[in-house]
Amino acid sequence: MIIIRILHEQAFLQMCNLPIKVVCRANAEYMSPSGKVPFIHVGNQVVSELGPIVQFVKAKGHSLSDGLDEVQKAEMKAYMELVNNMLLTAELYLQWCDEATVGEITHARYGSPYPWPLNHILAYQKQWEVKRKMKAIGWGKKTLDQVLEDVDQCCQALSQRLGTQLYFFNKQPTELDALVFGHLYTILTTQLTNDELSEKVKNYSNLLAFCRRIEQHYFEDRGKGRLS
Amino acid sequence: MAAPLELSCWGGGWGLPSVHSESLVVMAYAKFSGAPLKVNVIDNTWRGSRGDVPILTTEDNIVSQPAKILNFLRKQKYNADYELSAKQGADTLAYIALLEEKLLPAVLHTFWVESDNYFTVTKPWFASQIPFPLSLILPGRMSRGALNRILLTRGQPPLYHLREVEAQIYRDAKECLNLLSNRLGTSQFFFGNTPSTLDAYVFGFLAPLYKVRFPKIQLQEHLKQLSNLCRFCDDILSSYFRISLGAFSCVNRYQQQIDFGEVHSHDSTTRKLIASEWRHLSSWTRYGRCKSAETHTTCK
Repeated sequence: MIIIRILHEQAFLQMCNLPIKVVCRANAEYMSPSGKVPFIHVGNQVVSELGPIVQFVKAKGHSLSDGLDEVQKAEMKAYMELVNNMLLTAELYLQWCDEATVGEITHARYGSPYPWPLNHILAYQKQWEVKRKMKAIGWGKKTLDQVLEDVDQCCQALSQRLGTQLYFFNKQPTELDALVFGHLYTILTTQLTNDELSEKVKNYSNLLAFCRRIEQHYFEDRGKGRLS
Repeated sequence: MAAPLELSCWGGGWGLPSVHSESLVVMAYAKFSGAPLKVNVIDNTWRGSRGDVPILTTEDNIVSQPAKILNFLRKQKYNADYELSAKQGADTLAYIALLEEKLLPAVLHTFWVESDNYFTVTKPWFASQIPFPLSLILPGRMSRGALNRILLTRGQPPLYHLREVEAQIYRDAKECLNLLSNRLGTSQFFFGNTPSTLDAYVFGFLAPLYKVRFPKIQLQEHLKQLSNLCRFCDDILSSYFRISLGAFSCVNRYQQQIDFGEVHSHDSTTRKLIASEWRHLSSWTRYGRCKSAETHTTCK
């Protein structure tokens, strides 16, 4: 989750041409006002999560979606919710509700900063919380195949919306592009027990090309791309 | 010959074929796509399930949840999205996600969590539709489910108080309504001149909010200012459900409480008695003893 979120916000800030410095801190979660990482620290203000960061940056006079009309802004917000609704939930499901992934990767990774037995307790607690949330939104009884089908449907919608354009709206990137890039890049580059999730994304060549384009354009100074 | 399709769903009121959003979505889609549905309204018999309503039953299948039911109907060749382009199909998914993320929490709150609304309108209505003792259990369970969903999806730090979550979800819902209104503009439906899946979803979510008479109505007031969305709901009601807009209007809120049993009742005096007993109990907890004594006398 941390990896995904860093990419959304970082991509957004770089698209705005704002100079940023990425700093890693072990107590980052506790420094953040919402408990979520990453967050931005500007002067004496601290803002976390993509939505508030976008609002903050907009208040300072930088916005990626000023050129959109009202109907396009509605569409952009709708597609952002689609990504949150389907992709984010599917990623959570795969991390915490797919027993194979949980056993082999998630538990160990989530509990790794903590000593025994805290590592197990916190991991189980997190898993219980996620399962509760899944049940509340109606994903409790979904199988892995159904979740993968939802991801496919979401990618298909994004691919159809993107078409042959460079970005989702006009020729300039918007918050939606940052969000989609963050999710797709993480899906494509994170190693899991099976590759089905990344295979679903790879079926859509325009989405792959989109991710490569953003990686090359905005992240090329961070070393060679991982999408080649 | 297609297998008969039966839909179990919650009943209607206030001029609507159903007051339950999900049931209304399916009913609207069936009308738009021409699917011949036999609608079985939940009543006070013990027939059928109430938990996961709406439920579509055919000879070989039982399907629940609106998205799955609509998919099933499409596979049976009842497709309201036939004329949509690929991009419009993608937009449909996106707008449905917007409705579920931004509007649904506030609708759930208005119906099931806001105490004045829940105890005076929602709980009595739903309790009056089902047999005793389920009427004592199910509305409470639905209310807890709604609160759970709101807190689990939106109640994360830094929003520690329910009041702050409420403020945020109503802000989001108003923004969502504005976005929908902008998107609809002056068109009759969201995509062209024929209704599609998105129209069914928007109608299903908006119509109960628009029509049901609540004591606490901040979201409803906001919706009523968006005249194109109101016109959208009224057009669908009059074209596809042929319910006149003046039906089921109630004189005032207190009268409305008494009207529940009569508008939706069958001829069961037992049922009216149970419903009135339940209103008495609701009033007792909500308004205190003085008012309940008055209600008790009136109902008896």
